[in-house]
Amino acid sequence: MLSILLAVLVVLSAARDSHAEKRIGVIMTGDVPYYGAMHAVFVSALKKKFAGDDEIEVILQKPFPNAISWSNAARKLIAFDVDLIVTYGASATQAVLYEKSRIPLVYAGLYDPDQAKVSGKNVTGCGFKVPMSSIIRYFKHLKQIDTLGIVFSSVEEDSVRQYEEMKVLAWQQNIKTEKIDIRSQTGLDQVLAKNADAVFITGSALVHLWIDDILSILRKKQIPAADIFPDDLDSGVLMTLFQPPQAQGQMAADMASQILLGAKPGNILSYTFRDTELVFNLDEARRFGIDFPIQLLIEATKVVK
Amino acid sequence: MRCSLAAAHTGLKGIVFCLLMCLVCPLAAPAFAVEPPKQLLIGIEPEHNIFDQMERYRYLASYLTDQLGVEVKLTIMSRYGEVIKRFKSLNLDGAFLTSYTATMAIKELLLDPLVHPVNLSGEMTSQGYVFVRRDSGIGDIKGMRGKSIVFVDPATMEGYLFPLAYFRQHGITDMRREFNRFYFSGSHVSAIFTVLDGRADIGAAKSTVFNKLANDDPSIRQELRIIAQSPKVPEVTLCIRSEIDSDLRAKLTAVLLQMDKTPQGKKVLEKFQTIRFVKSTTADFVKVEEMAREARAAIEEHGK
Repeated sequence: MLSILLAVLVVLSAARDSHAEKRIGVIMTGDVPYYGAMHAVFVSALKKKFAGDDEIEVILQKPFPNAISWSNAARKLIAFDVDLIVTYGASATQAVLYEKSRIPLVYAGLYDPDQAKVSGKNVTGCGFKVPMSSIIRYFKHLKQIDTLGIVFSSVEEDSVRQYEEMKVLAWQQNIKTEKIDIRSQTGLDQVLAKNADAVFITGSALVHLWIDDILSILRKKQIPAADIFPDDLDSGVLMTLFQPPQAQGQMAADMASQILLGAKPGNILSYTFRDTELVFNLDEARRFGIDFPIQLLIEATKVVK
Repeated sequence: MRCSLAAAHTGLKGIVFCLLMCLVCPLAAPAFAVEPPKQLLIGIEPEHNIFDQMERYRYLASYLTDQLGVEVKLTIMSRYGEVIKRFKSLNLDGAFLTSYTATMAIKELLLDPLVHPVNLSGEMTSQGYVFVRRDSGIGDIKGMRGKSIVFVDPATMEGYLFPLAYFRQHGITDMRREFNRFYFSGSHVSAIFTVLDGRADIGAAKSTVFNKLANDDPSIRQELRIIAQSPKVPEVTLCIRSEIDSDLRAKLTAVLLQMDKTPQGKKVLEKFQTIRFVKSTTADFVKVEEMAREARAAIEEHGK
């Protein structure tokens, strides 16, 4: 019985191998819709590029956002001996780099890649940068901001960089900052404890895992929030300033296809997207008693009513 | 008899001529002695915050009404580009016009430029700026190719004609081919915010608005780099129809020029966010006309 089962497995495995000429391992720093949108475009663009040629198999990993899970996901893909690894977000990227594998790596969804330590001859990719000063500027047009809460996660390198960047910008404008470090679900109590006139949410996978809970607490405390990840589900963010993920998914697919066709990752220039979309949620504004001036509303690329 | 008939004919002609003159003269009389109007209707070009703008001008209009003994009324003239059309359709007596519309109005409507304000920073002129984000990697005109650009409005010197003239001088004539995307934001503030947010790579706006925003928010100068600057031209000029009674025009000019010398006038100037008014001349607009000519050449070659 066992021998029959083994024989079937061998046949199935051989059948898969004969079709799946290229295997791509993908790791998301967390199960965040922003990375999901990027990945959807990546897969669709890559399939178009290889339509009728080699079949592409994509192995997707969405680990819980912590160091052990990222590391396990990276090791698993290295053990699978995939042809290429694609990562979304800084933490997954760094977990793969830490393993020092010879498998080429393409990253996407990385905040300000020039400042992240992600270089190497087997590495290329794209990321984004959002001008955070704009968030302070728009907040100041809406209400008096003396204290700004910053929600981040100290286990995610790019979230820490965003926290540091926003802290400096706020300080330059005489705005005090309140650090809200989310490392686990119990960390949500900090949101309840801190007082701020507004809150900035960094692009952290861990923070976005509990974004509904965070926004619910903020709403009860009448504190408006801004985010640099899009609020596609209209969870209750007053203002979002984000780089559209589709362009990064498309570029990651372009880079991946070049590498699969023989190009060296080190010869492909990395890229930082700086275009943004600005969304104002008027429903939320009403909830907070905020009146959006018309001259501010016209700046938005989308207004949620 | 013939002579007497001829004389009678000549006499008749004289009478007819006199009768005709009596009929014509009352019609022609206003051309020589214009009745001072009971009201002056002054147009304003819309700014970013139209409510604040109306509030500022309201104090000035009320002051002028008191000083002139003529009611001064204000009206907004809709978009920048429609100023000439609106000036005619609204039967305006004058308008506070930005540099390019003032140049057009002086040329096409034969308006007289009277005065222009000196702003709170002591500037009586403004410049066009072409700017980019410092972290964009764009350092010069070469780096701008293939990028997106935001202008203010086709009828602004600082927000459209200057950058167009600048690009043409540097070999960029076809906007559609050289830039990935270009569009109009509708206001100088909006053009600046658009580049700050990363919604466009390059922007154009006027220096006075740029400097005011940057003085209020220090991060703006840290984040934006000015790549090109236009010559300085009057920012806003009060232009009046040349048919307006010359005494009233002279009085209006004198009242505005003397405002900073009276306590009441100073209060109004403070509300108008101006230090004082200074005299304008048509020569102030020569540079604008030159830039407009250069920009028009680019538009004629490749369209807007």
